[in-house]
Amino acid sequence: MFGDNTTSNPMLAERSQYAIHQDPEIGQLKAALLKDIQRSVFVYRVDCGGCNGCEIEIFAALTPLFDVERFGIKVVSSPRHADVLVFTGSMTRSMRVPALRAYHAAPDPKICVAYGACGCSGGIFHDLYCVWGGADKVVPVDVYIPGCPPTPAATIYGFAMALGILSQKLKAVHHVQSENEHVLPRHPEIPLILRVEIEREARRMAGYWHGKRIAETFFGLIKGDSQPIEQTVRAYLEQEDDPRLTEIVTRLESIYHAYHGAR
Amino acid sequence: MLKLIREVLRVGEATISYPSKPVEVMPGFRGKPHHDPERCIACAACAIACPPNALTITTDLDQGVRTWSLFVGRCIYCGRCEEVCPTGAITLSQDFELAVADKQDLYDHADYKLAACRICGTYFAPVKEIEYVDALLQQSGLSDDYAANVRALLEICPACKRKNDVRKMVGLYQEKD
Repeated sequence: MFGDNTTSNPMLAERSQYAIHQDPEIGQLKAALLKDIQRSVFVYRVDCGGCNGCEIEIFAALTPLFDVERFGIKVVSSPRHADVLVFTGSMTRSMRVPALRAYHAAPDPKICVAYGACGCSGGIFHDLYCVWGGADKVVPVDVYIPGCPPTPAATIYGFAMALGILSQKLKAVHHVQSENEHVLPRHPEIPLILRVEIEREARRMAGYWHGKRIAETFFGLIKGDSQPIEQTVRAYLEQEDDPRLTEIVTRLESIYHAYHGAR
Repeated sequence: MLKLIREVLRVGEATISYPSKPVEVMPGFRGKPHHDPERCIACAACAIACPPNALTITTDLDQGVRTWSLFVGRCIYCGRCEEVCPTGAITLSQDFELAVADKQDLYDHADYKLAACRICGTYFAPVKEIEYVDALLQQSGLSDDYAANVRALLEICPACKRKNDVRKMVGLYQEKD
């Protein structure tokens, strides 16, 4: 109903009926596992057709800087030794059966983690013909770690959540438009044509995301009319001390002066 | 051996103490898109820009409701939504602790009311979007007559606009004859 392609797309809806459903008895065993596992967590990584970005971040989490082994988390090379299975990748058609084999090879009770945007939902590949769209279409998933890829810190957080050490922070939000909700354009005191020209130039020079942020900062600078904008801009650039930013903001300033000179 | 111990002591510990202490997030890090529903005009620019369709818009013409929804599980944190948002309702926050046990917690929804056409009464565009366009027209520096003409068209749905145009054209031809 809310535009989730898994429910609106009949092909994907059909696929999710093949997912394994968990025995309630195993759920109880899982609670016992979480109680007893403490600091001996063996993780097996199942790559179900990912781009290897997630793998790089998992190994970054194993480096001395993040060092997940201090929690006893260890990557093992066989699913038969594993307590936790980490499914990365968008679950392609040809990796589905190997993923199922890894799932069945791991002894019960086991914790399944869907890792990365692809593991959670298929990610950017969700509507490809050969993609099943996430680990939960094939195996029962206990914890979802979104991210493209999740940072090592997000990985640690996700594992801590899977092991019941930390609690979940993210909650679903549903906003319904109330009365008296009005939105007005930003920076009404700056002429519209000038606003468009400055944003366009900032994006041309700095790229889309940084360009917008730089343009927004520049609007903030030229809004205050207590002192001439040359002084405000120079003080800001000296504080930032970035030659790239200086180049861009100087261009924006010249556009500002050209506009006011033409008037 | 002593040399090695001295070296180890000199270098110190590299490991950060996350999760017992918060981790330092670099400036410019792109985390969960934060949506300010009060500033959103439901124009769907973000849903068009979103490469993995994490942001979707569904329009219910019977109820007159447009639903904006974000599925964090599919988001690739590219920031295209922040770029295209005309009102600055979406900003990529520094929030990276997004793991959930229940998939439903990865969804954000916001419902917006649609405006009904002044002539035929069908729903066609969000009320907030029309207000925003109206305010933008006032700032655009167009002549008052022209702006008034355009503003009159804001409350009419595209189908009725087309009908009006045809009627006008037919009228012009008849005047000629």
